[in-house]
Amino acid sequence: MGRLPGTAAVLTSAIVWVALLGPLVVLLFQVSPHTIRVNLDQPGALDPLWTSLEASAMALGFMVVLGTPLAYLLARGRVKLARVVEAGIVLPLLMPPLVIGLLLIFLIGQAGPVGRFVSSINPNVFGVNTMFALVVAEFYEAAPYYIISAAAALTTVDQRLEQDALLLGDRPLSAFRRITLPLAAPGLATGIAISWARAMGAFGAVLIIAYNPAGLPIDIDQSFIANGLTPALVVALLLIVAALPLPLLAFLWSARARGRRSAAVPVTVSL
Amino acid sequence: MLDADFVVSRRSFDVMAQLDLARGERLSLFGPSGAGKTTCLEAIAGTVMLKKGRIHLDGRLVNAARERRTWALAEQPLEPRERGVALVRQPTTLFPHLSVRANVTYGIRGRALFGDRSLEELLDEVGLGGLADAAPDSLSGGQRQRACLARAIARPFRALLLDEPFSAVDAASRALLRNVAIDASARSEAIALLVTHDLAEAQAFGHLLGIMDEGRIVQLGSTVDLVRQPATVQVARLLGYSSFVPHDSGKLWALHPDRFVEGAWPERGVALSGRVRSVQTFGPRFACELVPDVGALHTGEAASGASRLPRAAACSGQAVVRVHVDTPPRVGDNWEVTALGPPLVESRSSGSLP
Repeated sequence: MGRLPGTAAVLTSAIVWVALLGPLVVLLFQVSPHTIRVNLDQPGALDPLWTSLEASAMALGFMVVLGTPLAYLLARGRVKLARVVEAGIVLPLLMPPLVIGLLLIFLIGQAGPVGRFVSSINPNVFGVNTMFALVVAEFYEAAPYYIISAAAALTTVDQRLEQDALLLGDRPLSAFRRITLPLAAPGLATGIAISWARAMGAFGAVLIIAYNPAGLPIDIDQSFIANGLTPALVVALLLIVAALPLPLLAFLWSARARGRRSAAVPVTVSL
Repeated sequence: MLDADFVVSRRSFDVMAQLDLARGERLSLFGPSGAGKTTCLEAIAGTVMLKKGRIHLDGRLVNAARERRTWALAEQPLEPRERGVALVRQPTTLFPHLSVRANVTYGIRGRALFGDRSLEELLDEVGLGGLADAAPDSLSGGQRQRACLARAIARPFRALLLDEPFSAVDAASRALLRNVAIDASARSEAIALLVTHDLAEAQAFGHLLGIMDEGRIVQLGSTVDLVRQPATVQVARLLGYSSFVPHDSGKLWALHPDRFVEGAWPERGVALSGRVRSVQTFGPRFACELVPDVGALHTGEAASGASRLPRAAACSGQAVVRVHVDTPPRVGDNWEVTALGPPLVESRSSGSLP
């Protein structure tokens, strides 16, 4: 009787795990190596992959460069009206991506003064349906994940360690680089991994403002509509292969780093 | 030289202190947990904001209260790296991802360690020989405290601030580390502050002893004078005085359990007679509870006749006096003891500087 709850927990966990991984397993069985080869041998078949990698890398770069200072200020409680700021960060997560896309037209499209100004700089570079638009759409869909994860990771770093580094002669940026960053690295890596996967898979907002140049999600949509399920599955496989290794590696490294730190056993030395 | 006059706001009360220390002077801050001792150290280190006041170290501003979001001051506080503050905290704050070597030499950047010592010599001095490459997580609590002390004294400083730095170290090593800290502060001609709950350690470290309670330094003086002459009941209690006997002047005699001798010696202090209520071992000695008889109090002033007091008053609300002795009487015995030269203290609980 006592073992029943434990067994039930194991069973439900196994069901959830299999259910979550099920579609991935099905995908591997549905697409033969021959089909993959035929579809990828076509001219320009890998262009969406490079587009997605390029845009996601840029979006991730902006997230890290712009989001980390904000996450740090939030973690250290140095933001006035912190709750309002946090709500603003979470808002893109709560809104449907399609709605984000529609609203972004005001930011980089011709529908609003800001968008008209941005487009006027160079519509071929900064308008809708440009690499810039794709990066912006991915940024909006993925940045909240990074900022929230980064703020959580930075909160775990004892502020007194930073103060000690400053008293020992560091400048603030040096203390951040030498103390805060390494200690928050596992959490930051998790944030980068999640936001990378989100950026690579961004579709809703991308569909509205960055249909071209087509990244992998748009390519999946186009392949599915034009050629059916199998070609779309090949592109899906490509997306998974491109998007997942970084998050998985980051997750494994982060888990290992945390484990290493917590598993250290004190050594008793005769004093 | 430290010139500090500040108030730091805390949830339960404000911590306020006025400190004036000459170069090379050492102050021990002693008091109960939560009295504001650590806040004092952090204020001097400049790691907490002041509500009011300012703190100068060797004539240079290290912390000051902010007014209306801007520094309304002609003089700006020094950047942390320029303050010359060596801080040892409790709990310890070794950088967990760096080895002992990297921790101790942090910020030194290839320069020689203070005192022209090698790292190995410094580590040997604090009892960490052979552990230069150890990770902080692999050290015991005492070893981490040693490493923190080594890191603090590896460079010259103007102020050495020690917050319970030896609490996880055995008694013998504690004396050794205390001397290392004292030598380092003497070599730097720096002021040194020690926060501790251990009165003996506070006395051994400081030229001066400050008693803190509820955010205030309730008495400050030389360690010997202060222990012998606490100003108030509050300070006396913190220093271990456990019983209080009214005096004609309205003040109280403070009786310390370690300062009793057997027998009635009215000319040497306050003599009490009564019945032994209990006897307990107390380390190598014995703690006896004596219930004084009505009118059993005798002092050197007995000639005045004013020192015969009722029992309830004789013990300031306590019906017993606790005495530490080497040879215990039996429970129920009639017994006479004398509190040696007990200091007279103010009866009010909130004290003032002497």
